[in-house]
Amino acid sequence: MFLRLIRPAPPASETRLLALADGSEIPVRWVRDPRARRLRLIVSDKGARLTLPRGASQKLALAFLQEHRDWLAEQLARQPAATAAPFARGSQETLPLRGLELPIEWREGRFARAELGEHGVQLQLPERAGDAQARAALRDFYLGQARHDLGGWMPKYLPALPRPPSSFRLRPLSSIWGSLSPGDALSLDLSLVLGRPGAFEYVLVHELCHLIHANHSRSFWREVESRWPGWRAERDYLRGDGLALKARLSRLIG
Amino acid sequence: MFFRNLTFFRFPTSLAKAFDELDARLEECKLKPVGPSELMSRGFISPFGRDDATMSHRVGDAIWITLGGEDRLLPGAVINDELGKRIAALEEKEGRKLGGRARKRLKEDLVMELLPRAFVRPTRTGATLDLQHGFIAVDASSRKSAENVVSELRHALGSFPALPLNAETSARGVLTGWIAGEPLPSGLVLGDECELKDPIDGGAVVKCQRQELLCDEIRKHLESGKQVSKLALILDDHVSFVLGEDLVVRKLKFLDGAVDQLENTDQDGLHAELDARYALMAGELKRLFAVLEPVLKFSPAEA
Repeated sequence: MFLRLIRPAPPASETRLLALADGSEIPVRWVRDPRARRLRLIVSDKGARLTLPRGASQKLALAFLQEHRDWLAEQLARQPAATAAPFARGSQETLPLRGLELPIEWREGRFARAELGEHGVQLQLPERAGDAQARAALRDFYLGQARHDLGGWMPKYLPALPRPPSSFRLRPLSSIWGSLSPGDALSLDLSLVLGRPGAFEYVLVHELCHLIHANHSRSFWREVESRWPGWRAERDYLRGDGLALKARLSRLIG
Repeated sequence: MFFRNLTFFRFPTSLAKAFDELDARLEECKLKPVGPSELMSRGFISPFGRDDATMSHRVGDAIWITLGGEDRLLPGAVINDELGKRIAALEEKEGRKLGGRARKRLKEDLVMELLPRAFVRPTRTGATLDLQHGFIAVDASSRKSAENVVSELRHALGSFPALPLNAETSARGVLTGWIAGEPLPSGLVLGDECELKDPIDGGAVVKCQRQELLCDEIRKHLESGKQVSKLALILDDHVSFVLGEDLVVRKLKFLDGAVDQLENTDQDGLHAELDARYALMAGELKRLFAVLEPVLKFSPAEA
């Protein structure tokens, strides 16, 4: 009974340096995860990570890293500078929304609220609120905008689905863009609302099609294709600019 | 009979025709008594009581349905206590410790043995459908029980594209605006209860009851960046409720202003009284939804 309360320990990790072709060295986080089934190299806003299954040898892992080090260098070069400071009150930067950059209009008011105005995003904060409250107001703003988009798109797709999703959840996801649980609960990455709307709608269509086929079979892709013929372009956009979107959201809403 | 909580789902108003044969469909999915070795059973019952023949009740474009259930009560502590005794007896008899698989089998056997002797707890959850606005309001504050009712209805009708209510604006922002002195929609006034949260992770939570909401204490909390997550409201002096940022209506209460109208009816009998109460409630819920819909920007379920 009590076993359920004990969380599995996080997989052991250590950081090692990897020499690139140009002679520079970059840190790679080696994580040995008993649940992993194959060697996996990923790049996120936290840097490079190599996941090793339980039985994989160091020699094999090193060879794998050597083989992919050029790809790794290319991916890291595309990452935005990791040193950017979190969003703070009074910042004069622009805010990304639906692929556009909007100016911020700061206001002082009686309570915290962010709204879409005619010329940009109006961020209203009370006198004593700090940076954390500014980021929370921004999170609320993006949630509202994402729900607005979802509300507009859903009726279009609903009639052709075997059943509707049981719930919608929007939040920052670390590596994936969306998922559909066995109980039909739909999760979407909040950073989708920052990028172009077509990509957001494609991810929604992709997850909705999992209500018809809970796999990535040819029949599944046929369903996606019939609803969103340009899905390949959106997938390429997310593969190219996706990590930057995720990193930007995490900086904005902390 | 009046609902205490409301969890909303939306469906296309073009579905109205699908409800013409609702009674027959619900009859097919009627509640069956829970079997001796079953943990629970779910099915529709008459809103007027389990013995009544009508499976739904319609007043104008509002339909009242009720999902019934029977759950067997078998507390984990009872199983574990009995299991402990049996394992101890077996280990003493065989002189060795029992393995995991044997323990699991013993537990399964024990559950099957105890289930027929367990108490049966009846449950019922009401729901009302509004065909004009295209919403179903379930008398439940937990999303799971509300989803259960909708999924049973979907099972009964074959298809029922109901979506959880989606607000295209920040409900938290709207509620905070009201408490900070922004005008409320016509008919709504502030109640005397609210919950304020600092929206940062692990932020402070302030809950107040029987508290004047437009006052300096609350204003100071708003000034430090807190936002409203639950707010008590009163509609037309007829209904009081607490609206949450999750769009669930809790503590729904029909006030004297509304219930007085009931006492003037001169019909007799339980059936007539429930009919009058439901008609009153359906009317008030229709008005409540119509007031909240434009201000919270609820998404429609049809293009």
